[in-house]
Amino acid sequence: MNPSRRLGDPKPTSVMAGTGGAPRMIAGASVDSIREEWVVEDRWWTGKPLRRRYFEVVLVDGRNMVVFRDLVGGGWFLQRA
Amino acid sequence: MVVCVLYPRFELLAALGDRGALLSEPAALAPEAGGVQVVGEVSAPAEAFGVVRGMRLGEAMSRCPALRLVPPDPEGVRSLWNEVLDRLEGIGAEVESDRAGAAYFEAGGLQRIHGGDLAGVLAAARRALGAGARFGAAPSRFSAHAAALKARPRRRGRASGGHSASPGGVSTSLGGVSTPPGAVVVDGAAVRRFLAPLPVSLLRIRLELQALPEVLEQLGIRTLGELAALPSRAVAERFGHPGLLALDLTQGRDTPLDPRRPPEPVTERLELPEAASGQQLERALELLVARVLARRERRGRSLRAIAVSARFVAGGTWRTTATLRRASADAARIRLALAPKLAELPAPAESLTVEVEAFGPPAQDQGRLLDEAAAIRQAKLGEAVRQARQAAGAEAALRVLDVDPDSRIPERRAVLAPFPDASAP
Repeated sequence: MNPSRRLGDPKPTSVMAGTGGAPRMIAGASVDSIREEWVVEDRWWTGKPLRRRYFEVVLVDGRNMVVFRDLVGGGWFLQRA
Repeated sequence: MVVCVLYPRFELLAALGDRGALLSEPAALAPEAGGVQVVGEVSAPAEAFGVVRGMRLGEAMSRCPALRLVPPDPEGVRSLWNEVLDRLEGIGAEVESDRAGAAYFEAGGLQRIHGGDLAGVLAAARRALGAGARFGAAPSRFSAHAAALKARPRRRGRASGGHSASPGGVSTSLGGVSTPPGAVVVDGAAVRRFLAPLPVSLLRIRLELQALPEVLEQLGIRTLGELAALPSRAVAERFGHPGLLALDLTQGRDTPLDPRRPPEPVTERLELPEAASGQQLERALELLVARVLARRERRGRSLRAIAVSARFVAGGTWRTTATLRRASADAARIRLALAPKLAELPAPAESLTVEVEAFGPPAQDQGRLLDEAAAIRQAKLGEAVRQARQAAGAEAALRVLDVDPDSRIPERRAVLAPFPDASAP
């Protein structure tokens, strides 16, 4: 069995961010509103620290999504659709 | 003839990895985590300060304040040593080894494959292992080990050039003891004479004779020859079975070799996303046990002995083995046996591994006194899972297992684990 068979692994996605770094469009769909925003920092004591800025958003088509920007390696990821 | 392959300070070398240069400084293996506070193998410069294996840490540090302690790496040692044994088995040898750094095999059956004589077998073993190993050949395990201790290690540069470590690059022979390149060979007729001047402390090679040399020395018996000269009745009366075994060893006799059985590696490893402990570790263990039980290589057999090992965030490894009182393929029972071992983990782990060390008989359902509906349903479900796996592989039936449900990182909260098999003894 694949040892990295975890549920909810983040998948890279394309995000157009507005001023302030909040997402305006996700995978071509416009963001209607941002419900919540938070930052997670972990493993800062190791050589592979984890820093993410999360956004829970509602798209104009009504979908609810959680995306984050990787503040260490860069890039946007979709955590849950 | 028994051939002994010897790597002095193997555990220390394996733990040092690419920091081998530390061998030229006073260095010793640090005490095992959670174990007795004594140092492990020591480098030659540390020995010069009087530090020896098994010495209390405080005494070692006071004898040699500059002593560098190297974290032990039992997992690394095991993997590296298995590689050595695999290579020896690659030339056809049936290898016995009860500790890393020393291996034994009978050369008799191999001579026809490798040139018809012992020299051919030694050359094949040397080619398989490369430079660094010392070889000894003698009629018994103990005498072969003593011979290997006398062998001069071959230098890497010389070995690659095909030259010998012995003067002139040729085998020399004196009174039944010959020294082909990188080895010492003792004939049957010369073995008693070869062993006679060696110190009785050499008996410590055998685990069951650890305490004997000290008593012998107190009685003024300092060499194997002096021990061999004693009447067997007197030795038996004073020392019992250990004494008789020691007497046999000094006379070139030993118990037959017990070669290892070919291993069937069934290992499952899980990288822990953060320094895990407590409940997360138990969840990880649950997942690993489920994975091991779902492996095809198990072929329906129960598990007899299981090893749990961990790699620490701060470096170093830890390993422990649990032998089940009754072989079982019941995940809950196995978890129950292994979970208390996790409490012995001395530091946060970054990965956890479960490995089957020995299989038991095939797991079978026991006849039930009462046919309960739930049990029947469970058996049907188990059979369905088994058939699904047979047809579509180990990942055919999975379930969601909460590993760390409260983690702030969503992907760490749950994993897909094999669906539990039908209950088994």
